[in-house]
Amino acid sequence: MKKHLIRRFFQTFLVLLGVSIVTFAILHLTGDPTALLLPQEATAEDRARFRHEMGFDDPLIVQYGRFLKGALRGDFGLSFRHNQPALQLVWDRMPATVQLTLAAMLISVSIAVPIGILSAVKRNSLLDHVGMVIALLGQSMPVFWLGIMLILVFGVKLRLLPAFGMGGIDHLILPALTLGMFTMARTARLTRSEMLEILGQEYIRTARAKGVPPWSVILRHALKNAAIPIVTVIGLEMGTLLGGAIITETIFAWPGVGRLTVQAIYNRDFPVVQAAVFTLACIFVLINFVVDILYTYLDPRVRYE
Amino acid sequence: MEALEAIDKAHGESSLAQLEKGLEFRKIARSLFKSKAALAGLFILFIVIASALLAPYLAPQDPIAQDINNRLKPPVWDPKGSREHLLGTDHLGRDILSRLIYGSRISLIVGLSTVLISGTIGILIGLIAGYYGSWLDDIFMRLADIQLAFPFILLSIAVVAVLGPSLRNIIIVLGITGWVVYARVIRAEVLSVRELEFIEAIHALGGQNLRILFRHILPNVISPGIVIATLEVARMIILESALSFLGLGVQPPTPTWGGMLNDGRQYIYNAWWLATFPGLAIMLTVLGINLLGDWIRDTLDPRLEI
Amino acid sequence: MKKSPFLLGILLTLTLNLSLTSAEPQGQVVVAQGVDPSTLDPHNHQETPAFNVLLNMFDTLLHRTPDLKIEPLLAESYKLIDNKTWEFKLRRGIKFHNGEDFNAEAVKFSLERIANPENKMKQLSSLKFLDHVEIIDEYTVHIITKEPFAPLPAFLCLYGSMVPPKYVKEKGDTYIATHPVGTGAFKFVKWTKDDQLVMEANPSYFRGTPSVKTVIFRPIPEATTRVAALLTGDVDIITNVPPNLVPQIEGSGQAFISTAPSVRVIFVGIDTLHGGPVADKRVRQALNYAVDVDSLIKNVLEGHGFRVATPLTKDHFGYNPDIQPYPFDPDKAKKLLAEAGYPHGFDLILNSPDGRYLNDKQIAEAIAGQWQKVGIRAQVKTHEWGNYVNMMYTHKPGPVYLLGWGNSTYDADNTYFPLLHTGELLSNYSNPEFDKLIEEARITMDENKRRELYHKAAELIVEDAAWVFLYQQEDIYGVNNRLNWKARPDEGLVMVDVTLKK
Repeated sequence: MKKHLIRRFFQTFLVLLGVSIVTFAILHLTGDPTALLLPQEATAEDRARFRHEMGFDDPLIVQYGRFLKGALRGDFGLSFRHNQPALQLVWDRMPATVQLTLAAMLISVSIAVPIGILSAVKRNSLLDHVGMVIALLGQSMPVFWLGIMLILVFGVKLRLLPAFGMGGIDHLILPALTLGMFTMARTARLTRSEMLEILGQEYIRTARAKGVPPWSVILRHALKNAAIPIVTVIGLEMGTLLGGAIITETIFAWPGVGRLTVQAIYNRDFPVVQAAVFTLACIFVLINFVVDILYTYLDPRVRYE
Repeated sequence: MEALEAIDKAHGESSLAQLEKGLEFRKIARSLFKSKAALAGLFILFIVIASALLAPYLAPQDPIAQDINNRLKPPVWDPKGSREHLLGTDHLGRDILSRLIYGSRISLIVGLSTVLISGTIGILIGLIAGYYGSWLDDIFMRLADIQLAFPFILLSIAVVAVLGPSLRNIIIVLGITGWVVYARVIRAEVLSVRELEFIEAIHALGGQNLRILFRHILPNVISPGIVIATLEVARMIILESALSFLGLGVQPPTPTWGGMLNDGRQYIYNAWWLATFPGLAIMLTVLGINLLGDWIRDTLDPRLEI
Repeated sequence: MKKSPFLLGILLTLTLNLSLTSAEPQGQVVVAQGVDPSTLDPHNHQETPAFNVLLNMFDTLLHRTPDLKIEPLLAESYKLIDNKTWEFKLRRGIKFHNGEDFNAEAVKFSLERIANPENKMKQLSSLKFLDHVEIIDEYTVHIITKEPFAPLPAFLCLYGSMVPPKYVKEKGDTYIATHPVGTGAFKFVKWTKDDQLVMEANPSYFRGTPSVKTVIFRPIPEATTRVAALLTGDVDIITNVPPNLVPQIEGSGQAFISTAPSVRVIFVGIDTLHGGPVADKRVRQALNYAVDVDSLIKNVLEGHGFRVATPLTKDHFGYNPDIQPYPFDPDKAKKLLAEAGYPHGFDLILNSPDGRYLNDKQIAEAIAGQWQKVGIRAQVKTHEWGNYVNMMYTHKPGPVYLLGWGNSTYDADNTYFPLLHTGELLSNYSNPEFDKLIEEARITMDENKRRELYHKAAELIVEDAAWVFLYQQEDIYGVNNRLNWKARPDEGLVMVDVTLKK
């Protein structure tokens, strides 16, 4: 295990390096940021001078080296647009994003897993069909559409919940539901199919024959075995939610990292994009690490040599 | 060696081989007709595919012909509607029904081709990473981390900036970014399957790795992969609309369901039909794919007996 | 110390009376724009949302009245001394929010802070006409330009917010980007980026205390959400209302609509320098005749736009009122195409941004549709804005491209020069005769002569069909019924003008 940890740590470093190279290369494919950074009336000389000052006219490898040197010291440079330290900008937004992601995760998993189990146990019952329809709705509604609908119904028509922005816990409900809907659907469907598969297997039948109480069979024996793909997907979703809340954050005017990142991408604000991608990469690596550890706990057969 | 073949045989018959062998076709058909849900799914998909293939014959109007003075006309059952436009017209006066019919083409192409690309890549990587483990596993899973950490909008913008905006490039972007979920799920399944006794037995009997991987492990781990694929088709169709929302979607005037839905979001208050019909189309298609996907999963499921 | 209750009573009534009569600022107004400012440093941005927020905390030497007349603000008066020297007399007794005095030194410091390339301020290119500022006495400065620069007053309405020299030098650029101190009607309180920016009335504002106590700016990117926030009363003023949601707001009983002609003109630019059919003047004229601009405005913009015949709006200096727009005449377009050798039309790609201007993609699609009707096989290609801007600046905008131009200095120079003068960054057009006219206008100090030159210049490009001339946008705002506020044509969100209805 210790060896595994060390190896994993070393890999993490490589991942971060890889992410930074890929991001750097792709950012430069999206074009010279000068056009966006300077005002419309800047002349060709203004642009050339600016390019030189920012070092955009150096060879890419030199620019990357400069970036890496700073990044190793935790300095991602100043945002082109905001004139603030890029990493700070990202971290300032992190709490909002984490809050939203956790709420979305909580809502979706706490609804999806029970629905998935119940519809597997009571296959083809009314409950199964209702669960299926809910999952279907969740899957087939684009996030922006769902978000706008929720705002119109609960915010404007019924005046039950705030329509936008950050604030108390009531501000969280609509965006978290919007963000978590797809995860909910996906998790519910996956739980159902995994449970169905496992419930049909011999050892479950054996356990039942031995007189183990039905719910104990389902939760202790079946669910634990069904958990591996479910945990995998939840881990993945957690990552996607953290980075992919762009549309939800835009619709609900939520001041999170997703919105910052997408604005930075649109504005070719390279330092901010780098800092955001770096932060997300760290979090992904951490989540995947936790998921892998969970595997060994859930299924003793899985081991890391 | 005999034992190996026996396992192969016993195992193969209940799984993928079923699909390969024409002899088994009747059995499949029977099981299909037994499942009403699967039949319903098949029916829905049949309609969608038919409208995609026969769009020029089915569409009552030219889907891109504008009639700007007749914009935002409601569907036929509304007093203000007209029989010319059964489902009304959009913000440029184009016939919504015709656009829906033509839109099925793009949505199907996007949904299916991206899933085919990302599913193939992802399942292969998942199998290899899970089965061989060690450094191969490390490399692929860390690649997955990189892929996940990397915002897909950035990739979209970059691809569009370099290759220009087109349907093909959207498929490329969606196809490249989708593999991770398959890879991680399949890998996790392989991790637990590869230690099973019968796999070890085959190993001991001198089975070749590739053969074991594709003939014995793949059928045992494919089931979550297929569930994910059916989910992903839906997600890809919807992602296309998210790209439209972000201004990176399929080029106008090509009708796509996602693009129509996005165009309609502005008009939610005063012209509900713009977004509702493409929304329904997406929902029905997703339903059909799911129903059929469930059935495929059941059919493929080897129901391992340990 | 003993005080009789009687005296205390008098004191109490006195203070009470005072607070009643001095019209204390009251209440709170929330404004939602689509975007948050990128910085609160008034010299280091070039964005409308930032201008809108910052003009409430900072003042410039000059400003524009709601009907766009130039008027002294922090200046008391100004005059031209010689071709390159402008004398500004400053108002006395004005203090920055932190107590520093506003004086000639502040003017010199603020303007030179922008104009000094070493400071890398984003407004540098807008003030590059400036040579230096000379302090004559505590309240008099001379602004000296490198070349004669007639549009200077127009520029100083927008650029050159006054900042306190000592504070800026002490705290540095990074700090003041989030802690602004100006002379404006409102003082900075706090800013949570992308969430809210709070400011409070400045009780000693030199033009009188604002009537609203607290002003909050909140960015809400999605238009439907902005409208929802207005309808629920969470927000009092929203910008950029989509035209089709106007009836919803008007019918809500909660809010009203206020509109103003925008400074932004939308047009289809034409790359005349790289051959192809559009290099032919007759084809370009045909493109103009084939577009039914009135129908675009009526339908796609639901009436919220104004037809223009030239690149300028009627509010811009140099606007030529005698030029009529190209009429919608598809037959004439077909005839011109045939004359030019394209009786069966040709393939044409119309590039367009998506989501940058009001309904831009729809406008482009509609134009392509109208061109198709005269035989031009036009196809729209939409682009992400960053990519699009790069296409523009590298002179690869495609044969025809949809673009908007907001000339906030209200002077023809700032439209004609960058967009149409030979070789300029955004120009894909070349006409030596036109170049000569606008070059001359730039250094002509006599207003009437300058106007004359611009009138002639406009005639040239319209006849030559340098663009497909389209329309001027209308800015649409939604305002809560409890407010008195009117939209301004310069897009400014001037909160000192807001009063609350009783």
